[in-house]
Amino acid sequence: MIEAVAQNLVFGILLGALYGLAAVGIAMVFGVTKFLNVAHGELLMFGGYASFWLFKLFNLDPFLSLPLTIIFLLLIGTVLYKLLFVRMVKLPEEEKIKNTMLVGFGLTLILQNIALNLWTADDRGITTSYSGAAFTLLGVRFPYVRVAGLVISLVCLFALQQFLRRTYTGKAIRATVEDWEAASLVGIDVHKVYLLSFLIGTALAGVAGALVLVSFSVEPAMGMHWTLKSLIVMVLGGAGNFMGTFVGGILLGATESTAAFFIPGNYRQVVGLVLFLLILIFKPQGLFGAKER
Amino acid sequence: MRNLRIISIILLIIILACVPQVVEKDSIINLLCLVFLYISLASAWNILGGFTGQTSLGHAAFFGLGALAARLLWIRGFPIYPSILAGGLLAVVFALLIGFPSFRLKGVYFAIGTLALAQILNVTVGNVFPTIAALPVEELVAYQLTPRYYLFLGLAVIVVGVAYLLVNSRLGLGMMAVREEEDAAESLGISALRHKLLALVISAFLTGLAGGAFAYYHVSYYFQFPFTPMWSLDMLTMVYIGGTGTVLGPIIGAVFFVVLKEFLVLNVGEYHLIIFGVLFVLVVLFLPGGIISAWKKIRDALTHRTKSNAVKLSPEAKS
Amino acid sequence: MLELEEINAFYGDLQALWGISMHVSEGELVALVGPNGAGKTTTLRIISGLLKPASGSLRFYGQDLGKESVHKIVEQGISQVPESGRIFTGMSVLENLELGAFTPNARKEKDKTLNWVYGIFPRLEERKSQRAGTLSGGERQMLAIGRALMSKPKLLMLDEPSFGLAPILVEQMFEMITEINRQGVTILLVEQNVRAALELAQRAYVIENGRIVGEGKGDDLLSFESIRSAYLA
Repeated sequence: MIEAVAQNLVFGILLGALYGLAAVGIAMVFGVTKFLNVAHGELLMFGGYASFWLFKLFNLDPFLSLPLTIIFLLLIGTVLYKLLFVRMVKLPEEEKIKNTMLVGFGLTLILQNIALNLWTADDRGITTSYSGAAFTLLGVRFPYVRVAGLVISLVCLFALQQFLRRTYTGKAIRATVEDWEAASLVGIDVHKVYLLSFLIGTALAGVAGALVLVSFSVEPAMGMHWTLKSLIVMVLGGAGNFMGTFVGGILLGATESTAAFFIPGNYRQVVGLVLFLLILIFKPQGLFGAKER
Repeated sequence: MRNLRIISIILLIIILACVPQVVEKDSIINLLCLVFLYISLASAWNILGGFTGQTSLGHAAFFGLGALAARLLWIRGFPIYPSILAGGLLAVVFALLIGFPSFRLKGVYFAIGTLALAQILNVTVGNVFPTIAALPVEELVAYQLTPRYYLFLGLAVIVVGVAYLLVNSRLGLGMMAVREEEDAAESLGISALRHKLLALVISAFLTGLAGGAFAYYHVSYYFQFPFTPMWSLDMLTMVYIGGTGTVLGPIIGAVFFVVLKEFLVLNVGEYHLIIFGVLFVLVVLFLPGGIISAWKKIRDALTHRTKSNAVKLSPEAKS
Repeated sequence: MLELEEINAFYGDLQALWGISMHVSEGELVALVGPNGAGKTTTLRIISGLLKPASGSLRFYGQDLGKESVHKIVEQGISQVPESGRIFTGMSVLENLELGAFTPNARKEKDKTLNWVYGIFPRLEERKSQRAGTLSGGERQMLAIGRALMSKPKLLMLDEPSFGLAPILVEQMFEMITEINRQGVTILLVEQNVRAALELAQRAYVIENGRIVGEGKGDDLLSFESIRSAYLA
């Protein structure tokens, strides 16, 4: 019995890492640009498909093809930014958030149906030579693929934090977040900062998508599901703190899998949503967020 | 001028009422039913989203609850009209339940919160009622399109009528004040919470009625179907394309939406949703006031009205 | 080097500046004084590019800057210390200064400039690893000015640098500003502390309700009766 709980918990945590990674992506974009890109899940989905086709057509291992997936997503992200989002940069904050959200919904419709038309509604998955393999610790199975997902997510998170904390460009981004006018007054090109942040968020979505493909499967309608998860976790963790966001993801995954013991499996979704609403109402700055921005 | 308008509206309604007597083709009647349904949904949503400025992404919840109550009651033998009313009331109950906590959330958080709520309901209903809402044989046999047409027509008239009355009322004025500048409205003694709640309840009730009408109209559908987020997003799309915050906007948006959808489905098939997405994005980016504002701009341009020369400001304009 | 000619500026439909004309020559210390809300900050925002003029010309060494983006204007050599400094509180003093040298030209000589700034503000070197948010008011102002200096500006604009400072700090602040000017940086000083500004500056403009209402040498304006009664009473 204990083993079943532990196994479930482990699976939940490993899934939660992906939630966290996706959420950090959307939080990065929102934190810097105040764009609420609700098509984030669709970008993730495209990341998954990119990885899928690289494997299907060229036999590229999904982990090794990550750089290519990232490049593909960066291209999409640049197009979307330059075509759509850049037009909303100058709006006052509340309007910006609302309008980017609306544009995001339009994008959801567009991207989801492009995927549907290109690749059908079928679930796509891949199997590699190591797909089923796992190591066992204290009676609990740890599938290599999913553990790799956790490791890669952590690496991405770490890399992002170091980038923001130590590099000149990273500091420029932080300065822009704190005070964009003061940032431009020292010569920082705020538009470039926005574009860069958007692309980082997009790239993270792509990586998450590839990991989702490898651990589970992809299909065109998965976008909204992952966007909702990302939003939930972003709110859970508090938008300013990426580590907090990531931990929030793990928490959500763990909570969902634990709850599966007490409530029928079909209600798994509800757990996250209820948690989300509770946090929104009682602690809107998130579990780890700062009090006031 | 006003009398002319009233007369022409009454004339229009009479003409529409005569349609089933004159038109033979069921497909046209069905199309009109859909148009009236969407007009009702769009107008109802607009009361909360457009007049009061609270963007709800979860209206499918009200639509679904209305359909659920009506269908369940009707299947068990209750007469349809009270059942539809019950649907509206169930939606109101839900609205009251979530009203207070929801409005603690502002702006985008409210929107996402309503989406989450509707999803919770969606998943729950999908689990509790996983089956198709099948009609008993007697009803199947007795199914007639004409009464349903009149139901939808009446519903549309009622919803638009309520919207019109609101716009010209003190309550409506208060709602719009809340939409524009909530804090300023509060300082004038307008209780933002009260207005938001009223808007929510009215909007929910009307949406619930629409759900009930849907339950009467649709022969066979999954109980979960009216709860799916597509309905919420459709309402959003229609009102934005038509023009939020006006009485005419949702009507235009709904007609445009249904007609365009039919046209696109016939001509480009699976790509129609993509085109809709593109249209929606274009409206948000370039035509934020919807078709109504485009119409106003054309009219102004034609009458050569000049506008003041405002300077292009840097990001985050000072007000 | 800096020339504004008939600048009109709006916030939305509200006109804030009416036909502003002024100039600053190399090496000068020019003051822009006037009551609250007169348009001093707006004028600086126009020059920095945060606000675009509706009409009129803005030239720097002959180049029209009216349509340039903010960071490009910084690259041209105009740096502003905005009202209340607006340092990046989440980062250290050193990081703030380093960010001040963001433009490509400034970046090349970052270390040299840093030493220069430390020379003017030794306190900043002492506190270089400290988080900027923990600095005192006076130190924050110093940091803000230091950061602006890091971009090696040809023209440095200061928006009310003495605001909120204790009197003794105000004196020190003005001494440092004079010193910076003496070291070759042209300065445009916006101040509500009219007496101090007029004592420092060689030349000054008086602005009221969005219009330039007076111009002259510092001492001359000081003796100007209307100025005395309006601002020094």
